[in-house]
Amino acid sequence: MSEPLATPAVTAQGRPAIRLDERLVPLGTVLVLALLPAWIGGGFWLYSVSLLLAHSISILSVSFLFRFSGEVSIGHNFFVAVGAYTVAILQGLLGVPFLADMVVAIILSVLMGLLFAWPSRGLSGIYLSVVTLALSLCVPELLLHWSDITGGFEGLFLDSQIVSWLDSETQQYYLALTALCVAVFAIHRFRHSRIGLAILTARDHPHAAASFGMTTGSARLAVFAVSAAIAGLGGSVLGFTTSMVSPNSFTFWNAVTLLVGSVVSLYSTRIHGAVFGAAFITLVPQILSNYGQLILIIYGLSLLGAILLSSIAMPAIARHISRRKKRYV
Amino acid sequence: MLPVIWQGIVTGCLYSLGALGLVMIFKSSRMVNFAHGALAGLGAFLVYALTAGGASWPWTAAVAVALAASILVSVLVYFVIAPLLECSDTTATIATLGIGMVAQGIILWQFGSNIFRLDLPLPNVSASIFGLSVTLYDVTVLLVTLAVVGVLFLVIDRTRLGISFRAASTDPFAGRVCGLSITRVHLFSWIISAILGVIAALLIVPTTFLSSTTVTTFMLQAFAAAVIGGFDSLPGSAIGGILVGVGCNLFSFYVAPELLNSFLLVFILFSLSCFPGGILSKRMGSRV
Repeated sequence: MSEPLATPAVTAQGRPAIRLDERLVPLGTVLVLALLPAWIGGGFWLYSVSLLLAHSISILSVSFLFRFSGEVSIGHNFFVAVGAYTVAILQGLLGVPFLADMVVAIILSVLMGLLFAWPSRGLSGIYLSVVTLALSLCVPELLLHWSDITGGFEGLFLDSQIVSWLDSETQQYYLALTALCVAVFAIHRFRHSRIGLAILTARDHPHAAASFGMTTGSARLAVFAVSAAIAGLGGSVLGFTTSMVSPNSFTFWNAVTLLVGSVVSLYSTRIHGAVFGAAFITLVPQILSNYGQLILIIYGLSLLGAILLSSIAMPAIARHISRRKKRYV
Repeated sequence: MLPVIWQGIVTGCLYSLGALGLVMIFKSSRMVNFAHGALAGLGAFLVYALTAGGASWPWTAAVAVALAASILVSVLVYFVIAPLLECSDTTATIATLGIGMVAQGIILWQFGSNIFRLDLPLPNVSASIFGLSVTLYDVTVLLVTLAVVGVLFLVIDRTRLGISFRAASTDPFAGRVCGLSITRVHLFSWIISAILGVIAALLIVPTTFLSSTTVTTFMLQAFAAAVIGGFDSLPGSAIGGILVGVGCNLFSFYVAPELLNSFLLVFILFSLSCFPGGILSKRMGSRV
């Protein structure tokens, strides 16, 4: 669970090991994604990849929460819904331009995150999980209850145009890509900032962190608020890329699916990890569309498999390899 | 108003049974079992398949088979989870979500998303006491709950297994030093939890019907009940269940039945704010 601080790997001889610059993989991913529309053209596949990028922002928020506070949320569909519906309502009913809506959506998600994490700030992580369980189950009924604003079952339509000289498909794709890059970069900077390090200390050594003013409770609140902000961003991008929002995309199972994506990407907060997790949850249902009723079983098994692999098999193999190395040196 | 409260107490008893199962597992192994609802639902569907739908076995045999099957499943699940428990509680909790999805997926695959009717084999008798119509179903629920809870508390209070359960939940390390088998304690709590879950699911089904989602959503109430009890107190969660039952019934009768989950969310947030250590905790304050 704990990420080691970046230290260059040193071999037994004391000289740095020859290895890939670790910035190469994310940069390559961004480059490939930026050039992808030129290769696949447009149509259904471009739409699928835009959707995938929007989902990877939401997955990033779940992974961020787990990485930075060791907590698990199954209620992130709520914050995604807040983001998507804020954008749709502001744009459709009040005519506010999209980029301004996004800012409002993020601020609103942060406030909601603080509101729901506040009562369990001083308690252990499971209370937050139970709160998020209740949160995720009440999203559809709240959306249907206020159907005169949210459009009820049919949902709301959005206008996916920011500038007029580009077709909306391309705009959807590049907005999703930009938002994803911004989110990943923000997390990266946050992780190396003073406050980010203090929050990580609060997770691993609560007493040490409390001694310089970062209590576990405030660290939890901060992480949950940032995570909600990313989920809100993901939601607004999701609304933009699909051009419509409806309660069906924000059910309990969507939240669980986000968690599956996050676990399968091994809670990665890098761009390639998030995209992999999103690719898993968007492509598996498409590839296995003939076995619709088995999707849940496959999701469940892959979640279990990823967990067992990452926390039992991989450490065991690593131990085995390091033991062998010692024998020969 | 009195009949609404009475019905709330009856369903509240079932929420207590569900919550007791969650708390048993939490006390012994410090993890939350999100698969509780789906596994209990699987047991209820097995009873349905053996009695009303398809094979017409006698009811007692079907229940016995379902109980045995869910005990077997929970033991299996425990052995999958056990190695994860040594890594971190959160990881094990996420793994239970995966197991819940598999169980839910099996229900959907075998039975689809249809709604079934599964009645208890009870004659439809009702009596009127002080203007309150009490059916045989209500009495059965109360008696079964009282019997199950009574036996459970006796076992935990008197037997060696119960004493080792309490020891392991207070301090697992000290328990291990004294030669307790933690695995045995964990298995005990998982098996008890599975039995409680199946009983609660079978008793709730006549009022809610049986579908792939009813038992899972029923468990949200159980979670709320467990939170009110502080998640680590068995009597607290039993009281919490009845509070949740009465609260939910009053809310859905007088305010809005379609906003029940939101009511539960507010209920959970409220009880976390006012009783962070559970309704029966002696000292207020936070546990870190």
